[in-house]
Amino acid sequence: MTARREVRVTVNGRAYARNVEPRMLLVDFLRHECGLTGTHVGCAHGVCGACTIVLDGVSVRSCLTFAVQAEGKEITTVEGLADGESLTALQQAFHENHALQCGYCTPGFLMSLTEFLRETPNPDEGQIRERLSGNLCRCTGYANIVSAVQMAAQRLREKGGVS
Amino acid sequence: MSVPGDTRGTGTWVGRTVPRKEDLRLLRGMGTYIDDVPEPRGTLHLAVLRSPYAHARIRTIETAEAEALDGVVAVVTGTEVAELIPPFAGDYEKPGFKMSHRPALATDTVRFVGDGVALVLAENAYIAEDALGLVFVDYEQLPAVSDVEEALKADAPRVHEELADNVLIEGGNRTEGFDEVFEAADHILRERFRINRVAGVAMEPRGCLAVYEKSDDAVTLWTGTQVPHMLRIGIARYLGWPESRVRVAAPDVGGGFGPKMYLYPEELLAVAMAREYRCPVKWIEDRLEDFLTTFQARDHVYDVAVAYDDDGTVRAVEVDVAVNSGAYSNYPMGASLEPFQGPLNMPGPYRFRQFAFTCRGVATHTCPTGAFRGVSAPCVTMAMEGMMDRIARHLGLDRVEVRRRNLVRPDEFPYVNVVNQFYVTGSYVECMDRALEMVDYGGYLAARPPERLVDGKYRGIGIAVVTELGGHGAARYKARGLPDLPGFDTAHVELEPNGRVRATTSFSSQGQGHETTFAQIIADELGVSIDDVAIRGGDTGNSPFGTGTFASRGAVVGGGAVMRASGDLRERIKKFAAHLLEASPDDIVLEGGYAHVQGVREMHVSLYDVARAAYGLTESMQLPEGEEFGLQAIATYDPPASSISNACHIACVGVDAATGLVEVERYVVVHDCGRVVNPLLVKGQIQGGVAQGLGQALFEEILYDAEGQMLSATLMDYMIPTALDVPTLEMEHIESPATDNIGGFKGAGEGGVIGALPAIACAVGDALAPLGANVNRLPLRPDTVLGLIEGAEA
Repeated sequence: MTARREVRVTVNGRAYARNVEPRMLLVDFLRHECGLTGTHVGCAHGVCGACTIVLDGVSVRSCLTFAVQAEGKEITTVEGLADGESLTALQQAFHENHALQCGYCTPGFLMSLTEFLRETPNPDEGQIRERLSGNLCRCTGYANIVSAVQMAAQRLREKGGVS
Repeated sequence: MSVPGDTRGTGTWVGRTVPRKEDLRLLRGMGTYIDDVPEPRGTLHLAVLRSPYAHARIRTIETAEAEALDGVVAVVTGTEVAELIPPFAGDYEKPGFKMSHRPALATDTVRFVGDGVALVLAENAYIAEDALGLVFVDYEQLPAVSDVEEALKADAPRVHEELADNVLIEGGNRTEGFDEVFEAADHILRERFRINRVAGVAMEPRGCLAVYEKSDDAVTLWTGTQVPHMLRIGIARYLGWPESRVRVAAPDVGGGFGPKMYLYPEELLAVAMAREYRCPVKWIEDRLEDFLTTFQARDHVYDVAVAYDDDGTVRAVEVDVAVNSGAYSNYPMGASLEPFQGPLNMPGPYRFRQFAFTCRGVATHTCPTGAFRGVSAPCVTMAMEGMMDRIARHLGLDRVEVRRRNLVRPDEFPYVNVVNQFYVTGSYVECMDRALEMVDYGGYLAARPPERLVDGKYRGIGIAVVTELGGHGAARYKARGLPDLPGFDTAHVELEPNGRVRATTSFSSQGQGHETTFAQIIADELGVSIDDVAIRGGDTGNSPFGTGTFASRGAVVGGGAVMRASGDLRERIKKFAAHLLEASPDDIVLEGGYAHVQGVREMHVSLYDVARAAYGLTESMQLPEGEEFGLQAIATYDPPASSISNACHIACVGVDAATGLVEVERYVVVHDCGRVVNPLLVKGQIQGGVAQGLGQALFEEILYDAEGQMLSATLMDYMIPTALDVPTLEMEHIESPATDNIGGFKGAGEGGVIGALPAIACAVGDALAPLGANVNRLPLRPDTVLGLIEGAEA
């Protein structure tokens, strides 16, 4: 084991400082050090996307990132999306369209798609499916996720593009 | 329609599209999956050292270096574990079965890559993993066999030395007069179908946390399972403890699909270690372990012969099924599941009256196989529908016409098929006709050139008419001789003192939406909103005993239990309300959270006030004469027969002539699962099931080499479908309610995958038919398909 290093990050607006091994994965840091268990590990080899978070505004696989790489950065996880009781447009659309079943992959989809809708406010189905292809879901068969993204995109456009 | 024993209320929740109650926590990241269950102080992390060989003798295990590592608490070998956990069996002594045992960790012989040989307990998961690298095992490698046909050969390496050969189970049957009818038919066609081995690949891998409860000398096992009650029976049995000292609780479970309905060695290890070391023990597998050790499925070979007449009428069907059972039989289903479910599902919606089958479950040096969504039905349905297409091609008839001549007709219900399946209601012809209309079958054929090549792609259409056997009760499991599967389920429903409803059931959920669908059923029975109904389950510590979540049992058996219990509760509520309103219980109606006197709405009392009275929370005594305090009811439900749903799936595919890539361009389903509780959720089940079937049909395959080494142990090698692969289904429902169960429901969990294999395989077969290509194996990956195209062209 190598000497521990201090990692200071801001997660969902709250500051965390922890001494961790350099080899600790960011997803383990978030889950076990910060207690934010909404980010899930599906494969730990960067394929399934369940561990997707937003790091300084960009979606990343937290299973392929070391905690020390996040030093000084700002992180958003699924717990940081909803504002109190009110869901984001994307979360609400997932609910209305039954875009989740077991829900294990869902946080990764939400994080990836939140970024996507910010960059692509008016996506067509091909663009949505292309983006979704970076996250695996074994329950839904994706159709309702596609519908949810379409619904959320439309509502966000009507509201003026703020998620 | 009137159903015997129907206790439905007057409500309107059942049948409505209602978004799920469980979504609200899952969407916020507030679900509690197994690795999210809070770890008690002092939790040790368990890791399993796994065999790199498919078959080997363990000579020595060196643990000293691992034990010396900081943070390692213990290293325990299979021999040491055997003193705490005896080898466990998946099957029971009976004709045709052979007993085989699985030690929780291998003691002297490993039988597949991934078989556990030692475990490490350490202060955290990183250290536990480090320590695995410091345990040194000296193996003597032995010859291994991974292929089912190789394993059947007389000189094949034997998986279990105590058995005479590798056949774990065999059976067969022949209808009376089969041979005469078979030989008298105008034509006979034979075909061999090979079905790929697949993995469930739930997005959440397996895992468990065993918490030693020191004051009770008991263990609570948190585990991602479909069957908490079955697990408790198995754990108590194999550890020799009273069941009162074992509590099994399933938190949110990230996908089940069948593989999570078994007792796994790691669960026994965690429980035994927690008790041995008097502390919490946690094991979370990684994806590699999931691919190596979580029970897989399919890997079947079907030899089919169909005898039929000039007009396409099938007279007799014969099938031999060989199933690769892997290294061990699994508790509680044994090795009988896949071999026998194949023949049982083969006649499906068809009327032929002569059937002969033989089946075998064969041990190999591979991961054990077992239940996965649809069990054998998707595979055998692909074989049956494949034969229907071959008959049509042979006779020059349309495929639809051949099916129509063989389907059970609308006026023939109730119908008992050739393997004694009781089809109480169904809509085989209706579903097919509507699906053909939706896809414009005639137009599709007319627009297609004879060579089927359009824009570089061979275009094909595949039709599958399928049945889905589910919702089995006790009779089914007893007929199969499975003592540890009771078949019934249980619900406990109470009106709480504050007038809200709480129900606990013997079910656990892996995404099916029981918190919503069971609430819909109760809401109708009690005249309340689903917002006032809380559903809990999956915990032997606080939910009633029952069988669990598999085989599309949720709505039929779980829903049935919920309906019975809430019906009983309704009658009790009526007595209390009648007492308060000075009316007769027969005149009380429950609606909108109130009880009122029929026809006199102003004579009402809220369920809150009824509950206060019933729980003695009033200034004066308000107990009706002869009634006891409290408002609760518990009921079991055991459906008299299996429920049999049906559907027609039609897939339109394009097969790239240059690359062999198959694209599913259009997919139509007309589905009948009886009375629908929530159309949104049923559609979700079908879309998701078709996606899994599409994956098996086109890419997924667990591959072992001849020595039993796995070649597909990552998500880069084992490809499950992405959003680019699965089209949005066009879907309609027909409702033929079951008339022989309490709710009129039929199962809906498995039909999607059952239809997808035959629909897609038949579509590719159709696309390549002009080339003379024979599509008789899965998966239809580009290299395979290109081989078919080139082979046919050569």
